[in-house]
Amino acid sequence: MDFNYSEEQQMLRDSIGKYLEKSYDFDARQKLVRGEAPWSAEAWQQFAEFGLLALPFSEEQGGLGGSISDCVAFAELFGKHLVIEPYTSAVMLAGAALAASGEAAAQDTFAKVIGGEAVVAFAFEEGHGTPSPAHITMTAAVEGAGCVLSGEKRLVIAGADADALVVAARNGEGGAPALFLVEAGAAGLGSRAYRTIDGRSAADIRFDHVKATALDLLATALDDIVARAIIVQCAEAVGAMGALCAITTEYAMTRKQFGVPIATFQAIAHRLADMKIAYCKARASLLYTTALAQGGAASQRDIAILKAQCGKLGRAIGEAAIQTHGGVGTTDELSVGHYHKRLIACDAMFGDHAYHFRKIGAG
Amino acid sequence: MNIDFAPELEAFRANVAEFFATAPTPAIREAGRKTTSVFAPFKECMEWHRLLFEKGWVAPHWPKEHGGTGWSVEQRFIFAEEYRKADLPPLLAQSLGMVGPLLIDLGTAEQKARYLPGILSGDDFWAQGYSEPNSGSDLASLSCRAEPDGDDYIINGSKIWTTYAHHANRMFMLVRTSNEGKKQQGITFLLLDRTDYPGMTIRPIIGLDGFPEQCEVFFEDVRVPQSGRVGAENEGWSVAKHLLTHERGVSSGMSPTLMRYCQRARQAAAATHSPFGGMLADDPVFQRELGELEADIASLGHFEKLAISGHEVVHDPAFPSINKTMASELTQRASTVMTQVSGVGGLARQLEALRVGSNVEPLGSEFDLISMPLYLNSRATTIYAGSNEVQRDLIARSLAGA
Repeated sequence: MDFNYSEEQQMLRDSIGKYLEKSYDFDARQKLVRGEAPWSAEAWQQFAEFGLLALPFSEEQGGLGGSISDCVAFAELFGKHLVIEPYTSAVMLAGAALAASGEAAAQDTFAKVIGGEAVVAFAFEEGHGTPSPAHITMTAAVEGAGCVLSGEKRLVIAGADADALVVAARNGEGGAPALFLVEAGAAGLGSRAYRTIDGRSAADIRFDHVKATALDLLATALDDIVARAIIVQCAEAVGAMGALCAITTEYAMTRKQFGVPIATFQAIAHRLADMKIAYCKARASLLYTTALAQGGAASQRDIAILKAQCGKLGRAIGEAAIQTHGGVGTTDELSVGHYHKRLIACDAMFGDHAYHFRKIGAG
Repeated sequence: MNIDFAPELEAFRANVAEFFATAPTPAIREAGRKTTSVFAPFKECMEWHRLLFEKGWVAPHWPKEHGGTGWSVEQRFIFAEEYRKADLPPLLAQSLGMVGPLLIDLGTAEQKARYLPGILSGDDFWAQGYSEPNSGSDLASLSCRAEPDGDDYIINGSKIWTTYAHHANRMFMLVRTSNEGKKQQGITFLLLDRTDYPGMTIRPIIGLDGFPEQCEVFFEDVRVPQSGRVGAENEGWSVAKHLLTHERGVSSGMSPTLMRYCQRARQAAAATHSPFGGMLADDPVFQRELGELEADIASLGHFEKLAISGHEVVHDPAFPSINKTMASELTQRASTVMTQVSGVGGLARQLEALRVGSNVEPLGSEFDLISMPLYLNSRATTIYAGSNEVQRDLIARSLAGA
């Protein structure tokens, strides 16, 4: 049993960490969020050069043959730096769906995704907030030689900016959930774009008889793709939690009230201790579940445990960080609240902690 | 990163499960099912200890040359998982987990030769004499005094919360040998060869659950040889701190036991009607609560696995405090959920039915028999071994050094 990052993974973390320290500090990130562009095209290009866009895919697929632990290794840093680029959606979800499909159109688009020439969004959510494809109601109807999609998708990360969409819908009335490829300019698409509370570009998208190509994936493939994406999203959350613990501890040791650092008050000291305990739990579950998944042994329950713990513990750490910072913690100027918003978003997407706890408790 | 899933490990699992299915006597099994504390019923626990010793499996965490098994981390976890599945009594930590590893590291050649064999075989059981009536969380303020006299020490004072001292034939303890300097500086670590020295009195204390688990030990001019000292005189505090590091490697930790409690709670809930209709196990609120508990126990298990594999978490100076805080609070939460499932079924006081070999049929189920004693006993878990308030102080202090 070994839960350490390998030397190669450590080197990857070092180089990406250096890049983010230099080019993606909090001020730079806030400029991005306030700007017109949905994210930094330059950062995305840099991720392509680091090989991150091709990393999770096998060499036969044209990827670099990286493992889930490779992705977790750098995704923690994405969380630490509050990266707003749509890595999980475009690479772990849409990219993985395209890679698994034998369709020519999917293969063409996939090649552009890993080359950094195209961004594909993943249109899955319909408002239930669960990872389960069982809740999908959008239905694909056969029309001529192809099929058409009608309905609405919500919280499509990068949905208004992507070159194409991978859409989850049922194969005909009452059919099994399946994935479809839609071109961004297709007739019948109507987007309402917005930023999420954690600074990412997203859209709610209406589909009105939109032409689509079926991606012919196995039903279990969708579950596996979502499970891997959840692990990476949790790695981001754990990275954000670690940053919050460090920032808050530092603040409590320097901020003085009543003539002494506030960390000397036991109520504050114990809150810092609880943040550390929560972080230890979340990170242990992240590393263990990643190692399980790498060995092909992570069950749905294992994934649910990781997701639930990161959701609950992330919220708790975020709230404790704001409280410890006092008034300044409630402002937009400080990173603390932005970390908290990222953690809330990570909790809400693909099933919040309450949903997963109940699934776990049902046995 | 990797976890070994080699097929040989499944053969190992089958081998372990086979032993657990066949070796324990009915009394040992009964003791396992009736364990309502981290301390199992003494007599049967030690019988089981001796059987494991004969098998060579009594101390998986010890170095192989001293009687350990030489197993991989995966094997140790498989062993722990199968152990819990079989509901067998956990072995007592004071001997195998505390004084044994301490002597391996810091004992003299004579001390090792004299004491390690009895610790391994289970012929000896060691009590831990640390706390005193006026020195609980502030352990370093202890005042039980040892005066040098020739080759001996004369001990005067008392110890309290000395678990199973009434069953112990040996004892390790902290005594005050000097009042000079800082309070930590005048402490000495002593091994007591016997617990029936003239002047030594042991008084069991009845706990909330109705059982005499803890004791008070009184010393009145008790003469013990200085050859029982570990480390130098007045340097016992660092010996005690070293011992603490062994709690890191004692076993696979608490999570397998706690997960087992959750399974038992789910089984019991499946046979319990909900006042809202249907069975309790299908109640969404119950599922939500049990799921939250199980997820938290799973995280503790992941943390324990990281630690036992040698991951850097184990080198964090706050590790023992983090581990203790998590494990104790989850023990309380698990037993709370158990009492909720039992409901009024947990209110009967059933000390006789709980006694191994009493042949008294419990009122209600065996689950109802143990849930309340477990809950009551677990109130101590956040108090002993350094209260959780002290643990949080230590964690916070370690952040200052980080």
